[in-house]
Amino acid sequence: MDKKVLRNDLILIGSLLVLAVISLVLVLTLKTKKNLVAKVYVQNEVVEVIDLSKKEEKDYYVQGLKGQVHIHTKNGGIAIVESNCPHQDCVNMGYVYETNRPIICAYNAVYIVIEGKANFDVEI
Amino acid sequence: MKKIAFILPLLAIALTSCSEVKPLEKMVFCFDSIIDVKLYDGKKEYLDWINNICYEYDVATNYYAKGTPLGIYQINRTNDEIEIEPDIYDLLKYAFDVKDQGATYFDPMCGSLSEKWKESLAKKEILSETVINEELEKRNNSSFEFFEDYNIQRIGEATIDLGGIAKGYVLQKVYEYLRGHGVNKYIINGGFSSILLGEKNTKSGLFTVGLKEVKNAYIQAKNCFISTSSIYQQGVEINGVTYSHIINPVTGSAINENDGVIVISDNGAYGDAMSTSLMNNTLDEIKSIEQEHNIKTIVIKKNKIVYSHKDIEVKYH
Repeated sequence: MDKKVLRNDLILIGSLLVLAVISLVLVLTLKTKKNLVAKVYVQNEVVEVIDLSKKEEKDYYVQGLKGQVHIHTKNGGIAIVESNCPHQDCVNMGYVYETNRPIICAYNAVYIVIEGKANFDVEI
Repeated sequence: MKKIAFILPLLAIALTSCSEVKPLEKMVFCFDSIIDVKLYDGKKEYLDWINNICYEYDVATNYYAKGTPLGIYQINRTNDEIEIEPDIYDLLKYAFDVKDQGATYFDPMCGSLSEKWKESLAKKEILSETVINEELEKRNNSSFEFFEDYNIQRIGEATIDLGGIAKGYVLQKVYEYLRGHGVNKYIINGGFSSILLGEKNTKSGLFTVGLKEVKNAYIQAKNCFISTSSIYQQGVEINGVTYSHIINPVTGSAINENDGVIVISDNGAYGDAMSTSLMNNTLDEIKSIEQEHNIKTIVIKKNKIVYSHKDIEVKYH
């Protein structure tokens, strides 16, 4: 009887430990997976949410404050490739693949913010 | 044994549960950037206050659009003596006075020269020496006067541009507001150039701050302002030379002595002005300014740190 109880307890303990380890690995994996999403804002409103983890090559056209802004995604990155703004800072920025590096076309009030797991609290 | 069987599931839950406390968050779209506000303690009304003050100064300091009641846009279009809002008067006064506090290469009256450079670089062209000299002459023949009762007068053709200081000035106001309301745990990310750090919601309170342009480098910091100027943001390469949006007010050139300068200080406005100015100082000059004005700097050239203050520990991962 005692031996049987002991064996069952050991099985229970072993199963729970395995379950705990599997759960921990799953949580840590999900936490570290980047799953980057680009949110496109015009002024304060989100007008487009783009899943960058799909790594699709695709064009998006957004109506900004003073004209249309052409956004392009490829290889998990995103860029403004065409805008009618005078200084072209947004276009010159090129493709962005990570968080903490927003693309801003102030002239058209278009802001692209990449969200997801970041390596740092903030980047300078 | 039964106790162990009871404890283990609890252990499993504890191991897999998430205990992070979500901060109060708001994104403010202003100053041609995004100000990302996170308060780990505080109230929602504080977010609204921060939002409003950012917009107030953004409108008043906008170079391209009319401010209300009177902003930089209107000031740049008159040579009359005019009365302006006390807040904007104080900001302008600070922007002109900061030069005497070591910011030798910070000049708020370089708006027109800076604009000419931006227009030229947008076409991937270098601004001609003729235009640079005309703009420098315009600047040298201009001045700005402060009178009583918040009256000011722009004299000459040179225009005011507060782009190098306005965001830091507002973050300083935000810092004073939060401190006044007993809020200690926060991070206000003004988008690369201006960051205000309180304490993080952890035991050490330290935030991890990545240095974008130096591979794998980061620092840890809290309770300070971090101001950054660099050629990597908005820089344009022509014939192998990077021309930045930071103009040397003495020579009129858009080529800087340093590729990036990070200033850690206890004043956002001062830090912003200094990071801009130090882009055109030599390393020896920077070391001397650091000692005299109680700031800490990191200087970057060709994606490498060529100098960092002895109290800043740069780590690599």
